[in-house]
Amino acid sequence: MKLQLKRLLSQILIFFSANLGALGFKTGFCYPFFYCNSCPAATSACPLRAIEQSVYQGSLKWRLLLFPILILGFFGVTSGRAICGWACPIGLLQRGTGKIARRLKKYPLIKKIGQHPIEHYLRYMKYFVLIGLVILSTALIGFMFTDICPVGMLTGTIPTLILYPGKFVLGPFFWIALIIFILFLVLIFTVERGWCRYFCPIGAILAPFNKISILHVARVDEETFQKECLHCNACSNVCPMGIDVPNMNRSPECILCGKCINACPKNLIKYERG
Amino acid sequence: MKKMLVLQISALIIVSGSLGGMLVFTDVYEKVHSGIVSVLCLSCLKLDPKTKTDFTFETADGEPHPDFVLENLTKGVVFLHYSEDACPGCDIMRPILQELFNITFGKEDTVYEIIGFEDLDIVYFYTNIDHTSEGMKKSVTIYDKDHISGLPMFAIITLGYDKGIIRPYYTTIYGTLGLDNDEDRLTFLTELMQESIDIYSQNSEGYNPS
Repeated sequence: MKLQLKRLLSQILIFFSANLGALGFKTGFCYPFFYCNSCPAATSACPLRAIEQSVYQGSLKWRLLLFPILILGFFGVTSGRAICGWACPIGLLQRGTGKIARRLKKYPLIKKIGQHPIEHYLRYMKYFVLIGLVILSTALIGFMFTDICPVGMLTGTIPTLILYPGKFVLGPFFWIALIIFILFLVLIFTVERGWCRYFCPIGAILAPFNKISILHVARVDEETFQKECLHCNACSNVCPMGIDVPNMNRSPECILCGKCINACPKNLIKYERG
Repeated sequence: MKKMLVLQISALIIVSGSLGGMLVFTDVYEKVHSGIVSVLCLSCLKLDPKTKTDFTFETADGEPHPDFVLENLTKGVVFLHYSEDACPGCDIMRPILQELFNITFGKEDTVYEIIGFEDLDIVYFYTNIDHTSEGMKKSVTIYDKDHISGLPMFAIITLGYDKGIIRPYYTTIYGTLGLDNDEDRLTFLTELMQESIDIYSQNSEGYNPS
């Protein structure tokens, strides 16, 4: 079976298993990806919610803080950010919107956004979201990220409003969250994997693990690569995360989607263990 | 290469060992299950439950009323106040209830007080579900009238006349009551308490907890 088809099947299967709560199946685990526990069909907890609860208003519940980090850490050590590419339902959504974003690239303005020098620095934004919005603001003020989280809006708020009309009224942060959700949609339709690249706090937790993960994407041995690489840039062109693949060495941005592996005409890129 | 392998194996052992240890030796799994997965996060949802003050005889899950409620109904209207540690709505509502019943307590306390209110006694229970017994936790589902599973939750149990029998008659309200300021919330709760007391006064004489 082709690699990308396998990946699609994995994403679809995991999306359904993340929603087994619809059949009454609920666990005490945290998802190792971004999905809201307020989704009417959610089976597990959002790791960010657990982190927020653990530091809420200066309280420090070590177990609740460590639990989601260890779950993410386990997947991080074994396969880095493969969770983003192979499991995350928001990744699946962006797989669909990414095709549109790719088409929109032919418009100069959109192309400019993706190639602007600031783009490289924007990638650090996700660490700011994680530390500033998820941890510090929750510890010092109170919940902030969950009040405006676009993923919560998509997977929690909208399904709840559809499934239970008249049962809820809009909360005080609804309109701000809606504006952020619209910006989220604009982002993922204009920049391929824009959410994963710039803002996803779970991506920020997983990204450093790419440096030590057992499974990773690598070039074949240096000598063969230097000798056979055509410098066609096909690998970088297909990369949904906009990585300079030939010069990549355990990039924290790589989501192990394998598109570069498929694209290389000389088969010079591969999954590697160890 | 060897260094990396050692690092990977060490990291894997530390992470999986710690995770396994946490699952086996701590209650974190249950805490996540009961405190996050089973409780609706109104903050994540960006919604508030619609406040409906209609009283009913039927419990939310069809289970009988807990014994502690039946017994305390002989003393007055029972007010159950459910809260949790990390909950902005609970933090907004706690001082309002303290003002309403003229009582002070901490966030993690468990409170059982009989309070004089408008010439009648109110039996007030405050429970933080992160620091309470299983029995108390179970009562959340019994009184979750609108199947919201969200906190804060307030159940006001009075007595009503049902086909010749005096039975517990209750309503449940949630969140910050869909109101914008503390004054309105306090007025709303005061009026609801007065209504509950009126119903209780009409029916209390015929009540038999057994």
